Amino acid sequence: MNRTTATATEQFEFPEIYSFPPFFTRQPAEATWQEQRRLWCNLVLSFYRHTRQHTMTLSEAVLSPPFHNYQIKRILRVDVLREIVDELVKQGNAVWVGPKHTKDMCLVFWRKPEEWAAMIHQWVTDRGMINTVLTVYELTNGDDTGDQEFSGLDTVVLRRALDILQSQGKAQLFVGSSDDDLGVKFFA
Amino acid sequence: MEAERAALSSKGTELAQREISKLQEQITVMRNNLEEFVRDHQKDIRSNPVFRVQVQRMCQVIGIDPLASRKGYLAELLGVGDFYCELGIQIIDVCVATRALNGGLIEVEELRRRLEKRRIRGSEPVIEEDIKRAIKQLAPLHGGYRIVSFGDRKMVKSVGRELNLDQTTVLGLAVRGHFTLQDVQSGLGWDTDRIQTCVDDMLRTGIVWVDEGTKETEYWVPAFSIKSM
Repeated sequence: MNRTTATATEQFEFPEIYSFPPFFTRQPAEATWQEQRRLWCNLVLSFYRHTRQHTMTLSEAVLSPPFHNYQIKRILRVDVLREIVDELVKQGNAVWVGPKHTKDMCLVFWRKPEEWAAMIHQWVTDRGMINTVLTVYELTNGDDTGDQEFSGLDTVVLRRALDILQSQGKAQLFVGSSDDDLGVKFFA
Repeated sequence: MEAERAALSSKGTELAQREISKLQEQITVMRNNLEEFVRDHQKDIRSNPVFRVQVQRMCQVIGIDPLASRKGYLAELLGVGDFYCELGIQIIDVCVATRALNGGLIEVEELRRRLEKRRIRGSEPVIEEDIKRAIKQLAPLHGGYRIVSFGDRKMVKSVGRELNLDQTTVLGLAVRGHFTLQDVQSGLGWDTDRIQTCVDDMLRTGIVWVDEGTKETEYWVPAFSIKSM
C-alpha cells in the first residue's frame, strides 16, 4: 500500500459491521452469507472509490484494509474474497483479468466503463475538442483534467471506456508504438 | 309469598338500574372532562413523549384504552391512533430491513435509534414506552413481534418462530456479545450434542454469527454487538 492509499484509508469511514469479528468469517447459513456478501460488495466498491483504486490482486489485497482489519486483528480469507469478487463480476461491477483459472486479479468498476465513457465524452464536448486527436496520456494526466474524476484513471479501465465510445461511433482509436501512445479522436 | 318475591325482585332490578344509570352519568362526565383535557393539551401530547405517556397512564387508570379501537374517539383526539399506527409500520420496516443481519432480533434501544434516524425531522421523538405500545398494536397482524428480555437487555423479536428454552438460555449467557462452546459447557453443564444443536439452530436462523478468526471459535450475537452509525 503506498502512502496516498494509507492516508485515504485513515479517512475512510468504515461501516459498523466492519468491527464485528464474524464479518471476516464466511457464514455457514445461506441467507446470512448472502447478506454478508452484499455488505462486502458495497464495502469493496466504496473503499476502492475512496482510494481511487481500480485493480485488485486478491492474494496481496487480503494483507491490507479493507480485507485486513488491524484493530480487531481479522483477515478475510482469499477464497472468501474470491466469492465476493465473483458476485461483483456477476453484477457487472468487476471483471477477472489475467490467467482465467487463477482468479487472482480483477478490475473493480466503482463506476461502470459506460459511465466513464459518457463522462469523458461530455468533457471533450465541453472543451470543444470534438474532432481533435488527443493522446490517452493527455486525457488522464493532462493539466486540464486534474480535477476530473477520470484523472489518473487506470489504463485498462480507460481503454474499455474508449472501446465503448468507438463501438458507438463516438471515437476512433489510433494505436501507436506503445499503450501510452494511444491516440483518440472524438466525434459528436 | 309468590307476589312478595316478585315485588322484591322488581324492586331490586329497579335499584340496580338506577345505580347503573348513575354510574353511566358519572362516566359520561368523566369522559367529557377527559376529552376537554386532551383537547386543551393536544399539542403537548403530540410533542412531549413523557406527557403523552402520563396521559395514557391516566386513561388506563380510569379503564379507558385510547387505542382500544382505531376509531376510538380518544385516540383520534389524542392524535395517538395515527402516531402508533405510523410507528408500528416504521418498526416493521426497520425489523425487516435488518433481519438478514440480525436474524430478527434487535435491541429496543438500537431500534429506537434507527427509528429516530428514519423519521422525518421535526416529528415527535420516540421513547421506549412508545415502541412497547406500537408493538402491542401489531399483535393482530400475527407477525410474531414481541419484546423479550435477556438479562437486562430488552430486545424486539420480529420473526414468527419461537426461540426455544435452550436458545434463550444461551442468549442470556451471551449478553456481553459473544460466547464459546466452552463458555456454554462450563456455564450450563450441558453435553456437547445439546450445545451443538442449539448453536447450529441459531446459526441457521442468523441470530448468531460464527467467528473463526481466533484460536477458539467464537459465536457472536449481532443484535447485542452491532450498533448503527
